[in-house]
Amino acid sequence: MKTPVVPAPVSNPAASAQDAFQALASASRLAKSGLRRLLALQVARSALRLGFAATAAMATGQLIMGGPVAAWLVAITIVFLLAACLAGFAADRAQASAEAAVSIGLRELAGKRLDEMPARQLQALSVGGVIMSMQRHPEAVAALVVGHRAAGAMMAAGPLLAAATVLLVSWQAALLVICLTPVMILFFALIGDAIRRRADAQERAFGRLAGQFADRIRTLPTILANHAVTGEEAKLARRLEAYADNTMGMLRIAFANAGIIDFFTSLSIAILAVFLGLGHLKLAMVPGFSNLELWQSLFILMIAPEYFAPFRRFSEQYHAKAEGLAAADALDRLLDAGPVAAKALPVLDRLSLTLPARGLVAIVGPSGSGKSTLLRRLADLEPRAAPIPRTHPLAAKEIAWISTDAYVPEGTLAEAIAWNAGAVDRARLEDAAGAIGLLDDALLPGGLDARLDKGGANLSGGQRLRIAVARARLCGRTVLADEPTAKLDRETAEAVRRMLLEISRARLVVVATHDRDLAAAAEIVLDLARDETVEVAA
Amino acid sequence: MSAAYQSSSRNSWRLATGFAFAALACAILLGGVSAWLLGSVAIAGLSAAAFTFNFHIPAALIRLFAVGRTAARYGERLTGHQAALADQVARRVELFAAMAAAPAVRRAGWQLGDDARLADYLDDVEDLDYARLRAGLPALTLGCGLAILIAGSAVLAPLSLLPITLLLLAILFAGNRMAKAGAMAWVETRSLRRGGASRLGAAMASAVPLKAEDAWSRECTAALAALSRADGALLALRRLQALLDLIASAFGPVAGISVMAAAWHAGRQGAELLTPMLLAFSWLALGEAINGASRMLVAMLRRNAARAEIGQWTRGATADRREGTPDDIRPGPLRHGALQRRAPDSRAIGAPISLLLAKGHPTMLVGASGSGKTSLLKQIAGWIGDDAFAAGDCILSASERRAQAALVLHDAVILEDTVRTNLFAGDAPDAALWRALEAVEMDGRIREAGGLDAWIRQDRFSLGEVQRINLGRAWLSTKPLMLLDEPTEHLDDEQGQRILGRLLAHLSDRIVVVSTHRAPPLRDARMIELRP
Repeated sequence: MKTPVVPAPVSNPAASAQDAFQALASASRLAKSGLRRLLALQVARSALRLGFAATAAMATGQLIMGGPVAAWLVAITIVFLLAACLAGFAADRAQASAEAAVSIGLRELAGKRLDEMPARQLQALSVGGVIMSMQRHPEAVAALVVGHRAAGAMMAAGPLLAAATVLLVSWQAALLVICLTPVMILFFALIGDAIRRRADAQERAFGRLAGQFADRIRTLPTILANHAVTGEEAKLARRLEAYADNTMGMLRIAFANAGIIDFFTSLSIAILAVFLGLGHLKLAMVPGFSNLELWQSLFILMIAPEYFAPFRRFSEQYHAKAEGLAAADALDRLLDAGPVAAKALPVLDRLSLTLPARGLVAIVGPSGSGKSTLLRRLADLEPRAAPIPRTHPLAAKEIAWISTDAYVPEGTLAEAIAWNAGAVDRARLEDAAGAIGLLDDALLPGGLDARLDKGGANLSGGQRLRIAVARARLCGRTVLADEPTAKLDRETAEAVRRMLLEISRARLVVVATHDRDLAAAAEIVLDLARDETVEVAA
Repeated sequence: MSAAYQSSSRNSWRLATGFAFAALACAILLGGVSAWLLGSVAIAGLSAAAFTFNFHIPAALIRLFAVGRTAARYGERLTGHQAALADQVARRVELFAAMAAAPAVRRAGWQLGDDARLADYLDDVEDLDYARLRAGLPALTLGCGLAILIAGSAVLAPLSLLPITLLLLAILFAGNRMAKAGAMAWVETRSLRRGGASRLGAAMASAVPLKAEDAWSRECTAALAALSRADGALLALRRLQALLDLIASAFGPVAGISVMAAAWHAGRQGAELLTPMLLAFSWLALGEAINGASRMLVAMLRRNAARAEIGQWTRGATADRREGTPDDIRPGPLRHGALQRRAPDSRAIGAPISLLLAKGHPTMLVGASGSGKTSLLKQIAGWIGDDAFAAGDCILSASERRAQAALVLHDAVILEDTVRTNLFAGDAPDAALWRALEAVEMDGRIREAGGLDAWIRQDRFSLGEVQRINLGRAWLSTKPLMLLDEPTEHLDDEQGQRILGRLLAHLSDRIVVVSTHRAPPLRDARMIELRP
């Protein structure tokens, strides 16, 4: 037996249930400093824009009224303008950087989480789902916790700043603008409710049609194989039309939201312009709107739209919120999936096993008797399982694993074989590949320089397995092989048997197998079917 | 796609364009006229003119512009989306047909069957769908608005054209640079994303070996790092956007200031400055619209990338979309003396084999994984290669065989639709459908799901159940050439043999070819052993 390694303490399931992933909370933590910086810059931009509007109004008013325009006023106006643009530029950059940082940080956390998952649980996850979650969801969550949050905060800060600026000239005008807000919010609430009701109704009636195009693209080969293209095309057109019509019904209400903000912005300008105009003509004496200088009324007119601008920006972020919440939810569901219960295998718990330092050990037994599970326990891939008495799991660094799902990196066949096998010279590579029949494979033209697709997509399970066998021969580690000869033709299976035997002369080789010939060649055979305490020693 | 729908799309675009112009005009005029009114009344208020000043017309105009802006914006959003949705329906139906004709669909491993790839593809389709609404329409109205205000400036304050032109040139220059650099950043983002995704997929597929060899952490981290580098490339694009927006946000105010300054420099005073002020405030209002310039540009470069990507799928699509000859031709035995087997990428596999496929004698293709069983089935079905088979006294080309073959793929899937649709049996009576479901031992499960008109989805079924529904399709097929790819996969041995036995008995009057990696003993079967 090689250096025994004490297995990591079995983790307590109750403890791990507590530390849920909580994508949203983690992202908020990651976003904190970036968000603060962004908010500071956005407030600066708003303040500088207000400053520009104010000084521009003063300068224009004085110019029209024939008064002298101070040169410093013009200079300040331009400085305000440029500073506002620069602050906006910095804010945009800060938002982009903060979102990228949150997205990358969140992905790192998720990666750590994936790293801690036991192999069995990883296998139970849908590959497509994991890729989607790692690729897209961090970005969506980042947009929610940075962009959307900032827009929300600015909805409080922006209008307050604008109202305070108007206050400098006329508190009555500031009051008027502020008074419009509750009315606007009331409308918001009413319409928001209508949208929700309508959306629910639509989801009930038309939810099925939502993904029809995607579904028909996904299932295209099946549709082709069943000669249903023409019929499905016509049906798709009908359903997409029905769905589009309904979406319009929904949008008619949803756009009312943006319409309200537009309405109040326009209304405030119209009301103020008329009130202020009447004041100038001295036709009506509205307190706060008469006896003003032109620059003062221009000032009010220019600031008022700024009051409503943050509301508009926030309402434009509506999608970011929905998408971010959905993404956070998906990440949580993926990474907080409960452990996958392993089938109870009492025979393995009774097992007592001492492995020799070299030689071929065969684990046999019918399907489902626990051959693969035992192999995985030997590699310490089943952390929740009780350790096998008197057996120590092998250290991961000392294992070469052979199976039909062996990992194949992108590149040439030579690179695939040499992957994770240390430094290997070309002659030995050629030798190992040739002995396992990889060099004269018609489906892999080009010998060692044959190009393999990303992830070995162009390889069959048998080819992957043979690459793993060749790799195992070169690397000098203990070999664990899961069904190394299944699904192979007779000659290749023979070559695999030969090579495993050859390796076993120098090292330990444990195979889980149905193959009688392979089991017959083993020095130790472990039959899991015999219902008795299994006690094997070399 | 009905002609009525198409013309409604054209009408909607026309309407949307009209609304967009109206909205922009109202927004510009609302700002300009309001400021002009204040200036005028302030000057009038100084003298007796206050009492003769016609206040009502400008006040009414301002109210009109305010209401008009709100209404036109709402109309623009609504009709614009209506137009985009109408186009979307048309484009997607066309795209479905083009994809169906694309050769990639018939080759090995349908890539868009994978969730992640499908989501990328849908993003591209969406980028195409909304490009006109997000970029085309706003660019058009913005261009016209610019032209009018520039003309106005040329008349009222010619000198202001100098800074305006300079800044406009700067925007065009920056926009051009951003379009180029941004397109590259976007291409890099996409390729990094795709690389990371496929690397992660490869690692996930080999999770057990990687964990066992202590290499999982390294591979997973490397894949995620590629995805994070994609975020970095996207960040570069957004920084470029910020730069363009910086210049664009200065444009409106600078133009406004320039107009006022030029007018003042030309010696205008007091009331003479009112019209330039109207123009200056109009520039300010237009400046708000220019703020979206970088978003338009991004929408455009995403559209271009999406178009190129989708074009790759549909490239080489065969023009003939008709389903070949009618099915009622029942070919005699199919023969090929020396068929060169080919992989999906048309590489030759092994030595040529001779095939004789006749009804009543199912042909079993046996061989290890990777020996090319599925490829041979597809070749017989006319999905791969261009071989002609002899059928009695006539010759059947690949496309003719395609029309006569039912290819029962081992990775067939469930459509999100009714059970009836999923059986692809046209207008076969219910009783026949139920008989087929009984034969594949799915009647109980379907009854439980709600019968033939129940709405079903892939994820509600196990792999074995999907396979049995797939075999139910084979049972109901009326094609003379039946090609079954691993029909007992995902079924336990006993059930698999039971169902396959029933199916082959039912199909005894057709030509049947079955591929399998286990060779079950079957009466009257001919066996062909395949080697790579």
